[in-house]
Amino acid sequence: MVQSKKQKYTFLAFCLIPTFIMFSIFTLYPLFSGLYFSFFEWSGATQEKTFIGFDNYIKLFNDSIIPRTIYHDYFLVATKVVGIMVLALFFAVALTQLKIKEAPFYRIVFFFPNIMSVVVIGILWAFIYNPSMGLVNSGLEAIGLESWTRAWLGNEDWALASLVLPSVWAGIGLFMLMLMGGIANVSKSYYEAAEIDGANEWQQFWKVTLPLVWPQIKISILYIVITTLNGSFIIVQVMTGGGPNNSTHVMGSYLYQQAFQQYDFGYGATIGVMILIISLITVLILQFLMRRERVEY
Amino acid sequence: MKKLLKGPVSLLWMGLLTIGLAAGCSSDDDSSGDNGGGDGSGEGGVSGELELQYFVGGYGDSWWKEVIEDFEEEYPDVSVVEHAGPNINEEMRSRWVSGDPPDVVYIDGAGSSETQMVEDGQLMNLSDLVEDIEVEGEPLLDSFIVEPATYDDEIYSLPLVFDTWGTWYNEALFEDEGYEVPADFDGFMDTMGEVQEGEDISPFVTTGQHPYYFLRGVLYPAFGASGGDELLNDVITGAEGAWTSDPVVEVMEKVQEMQEAGYIDDGFGALNHTQSQMDFLMGDNAFIPVGFWLPNEMANDIPEDFEFGFVPSPMNDSGEPYSIVPDLRPLAIAEEAENPEAAEAFVEFVFKKEFARSFSEHTGAIMNLNGVDLSENEEVPDYLIEANDMINDEEQVQINNKPHPMSSDLEEPIGNSLVSLMLGNITAEEFTEEAEQAAAEYRESNE
Repeated sequence: MVQSKKQKYTFLAFCLIPTFIMFSIFTLYPLFSGLYFSFFEWSGATQEKTFIGFDNYIKLFNDSIIPRTIYHDYFLVATKVVGIMVLALFFAVALTQLKIKEAPFYRIVFFFPNIMSVVVIGILWAFIYNPSMGLVNSGLEAIGLESWTRAWLGNEDWALASLVLPSVWAGIGLFMLMLMGGIANVSKSYYEAAEIDGANEWQQFWKVTLPLVWPQIKISILYIVITTLNGSFIIVQVMTGGGPNNSTHVMGSYLYQQAFQQYDFGYGATIGVMILIISLITVLILQFLMRRERVEY
Repeated sequence: MKKLLKGPVSLLWMGLLTIGLAAGCSSDDDSSGDNGGGDGSGEGGVSGELELQYFVGGYGDSWWKEVIEDFEEEYPDVSVVEHAGPNINEEMRSRWVSGDPPDVVYIDGAGSSETQMVEDGQLMNLSDLVEDIEVEGEPLLDSFIVEPATYDDEIYSLPLVFDTWGTWYNEALFEDEGYEVPADFDGFMDTMGEVQEGEDISPFVTTGQHPYYFLRGVLYPAFGASGGDELLNDVITGAEGAWTSDPVVEVMEKVQEMQEAGYIDDGFGALNHTQSQMDFLMGDNAFIPVGFWLPNEMANDIPEDFEFGFVPSPMNDSGEPYSIVPDLRPLAIAEEAENPEAAEAFVEFVFKKEFARSFSEHTGAIMNLNGVDLSENEEVPDYLIEANDMINDEEQVQINNKPHPMSSDLEEPIGNSLVSLMLGNITAEEFTEEAEQAAAEYRESNE
């Protein structure tokens, strides 16, 4: 049956209009109202707002804590991308290529953190890092490294680094599954051909596996970057609250503090606008850096 | 029917659907405006619905339940709607923002700020109402232990709960091991030294995630002891030069001394208040600055051989009395209360000596009414009776009053520097400079 043009457009409109309305209400409206509030002095707890133009933005540029929060965010982004991608790729290759009998078991174990709430993970790891009864310090003591023990989350120099481990641990599973899916789609014949040509396993990984799962790797990296810039707030809030002395504040947790603890909602909205801009720029740069020809053999 | 779904007609259908959706999202604003509340014009003047918002924290909610029950008995035409819980301040925020607040609010706990609410014009001026309230024949204003906070000489809230911060210790342990309860800062340092040696622990702990516990629990009394109400007023309002003044520097040097002697648990930076209190109860530390609510808040986790002892934070020089700085939790009426008559009736009803007694029984703390005898009451915990006696003994304890709570815009940066000082990363002098800088920024933002 041939569809008339009108029918086609009707169908398209039927699909698009409700989606667009939902998108407008739940995405565009909050986005623009955030932008709007950033021009006001508003405590967030009253109906009265005062328009102050760009004052919040001037404050943003003069705020000495802002550069630190940006640095902390990118520290987490960099360490998480490296940590998660290396480990996820390693496990994915190991579980698909090495023909381990217990592969399904490991798959479940590694994916487990992903079904736990980040809040639970944060509390769990706060106990692991606990200076007096935590696993980390008692483990170090058990192997005779008492001088290495410290109050991990309570130390201005170590707190941020201590947040990396739980973030990586919580992230591996999902990306491991994504990469396993990618690897499973690579035809066995490529490996056979490579083997006949004399390539060892290492060369097979670099020349066959990696180029062919590149689309998955790219998506994974983008996803880690975006979720870290937007979502590292949770683990910071649960584990350290941004402290000690701002040494773990990320942009999101600082926004929360300003908007909901210091009653400066307008300034919080300004920080939100900054997060949006920084995330957009980061993603654009990443897209540019990671563009590669699609490989097909 | 088939035809209806086809052709140009279907576009019309979709248009209608769209309009319906959009309208559905915006049509609920005027229907909900005047339900509940009532107009308070029933017999006796007080009827209808009374919405009450109260924070439930360390003091629990059993006292509130009792008061509300008695109130409803006295005013059978009024039904009280309770909005209560540990996160109630956050949960009710949208109601306040949209101009539909509850009638009566008890201001306490995270996410609430009396100063902010007054600045935002959300609270009703109670200056006239308070003149008419009497407690057993005496004017209410003469019956307060601590008078209401004033903003430009007007009263917007009535202090209900008399809270005070102090330093807690394990009385059972101190008695068994013969540690002395400190009476001044030198004694404090001596006892901490003995505890450190005898128990092999860091004697002092507090929460690093909420540095205001140390600020309010230790530094305020220290400032009160060395510079009285005037210094306290200057540091809280961020007056120029207050934070770098000699008495403040001396106090901060005491803190540095505690840090350098290794008396402050070096893990405190990561602890939230519950964790620090757990460590204290487990005997990992011997002293902790918290308010009166500590025993009630931790009621389920108290080890058997543990006995609470309370002393005003001993930051005073020898020969001088301790200082305590009361922290008041007020009751207020919303400016836009829908049932102000019932709200006023409720506020008047609460301030009774009978309720003050039952407050101490339920919560182990004190309601802000004087002349309430607790000493014979068996339901009241021992530490409270001791503390109550101590507070009323002018030779032992001086009471210093702060003008109003410190704004979080000043408290936040000072708290951050404080953590740094207590971790040993900066000196007392560097701290005072950072605090002075924060005060300067705070003054500037308030101009």
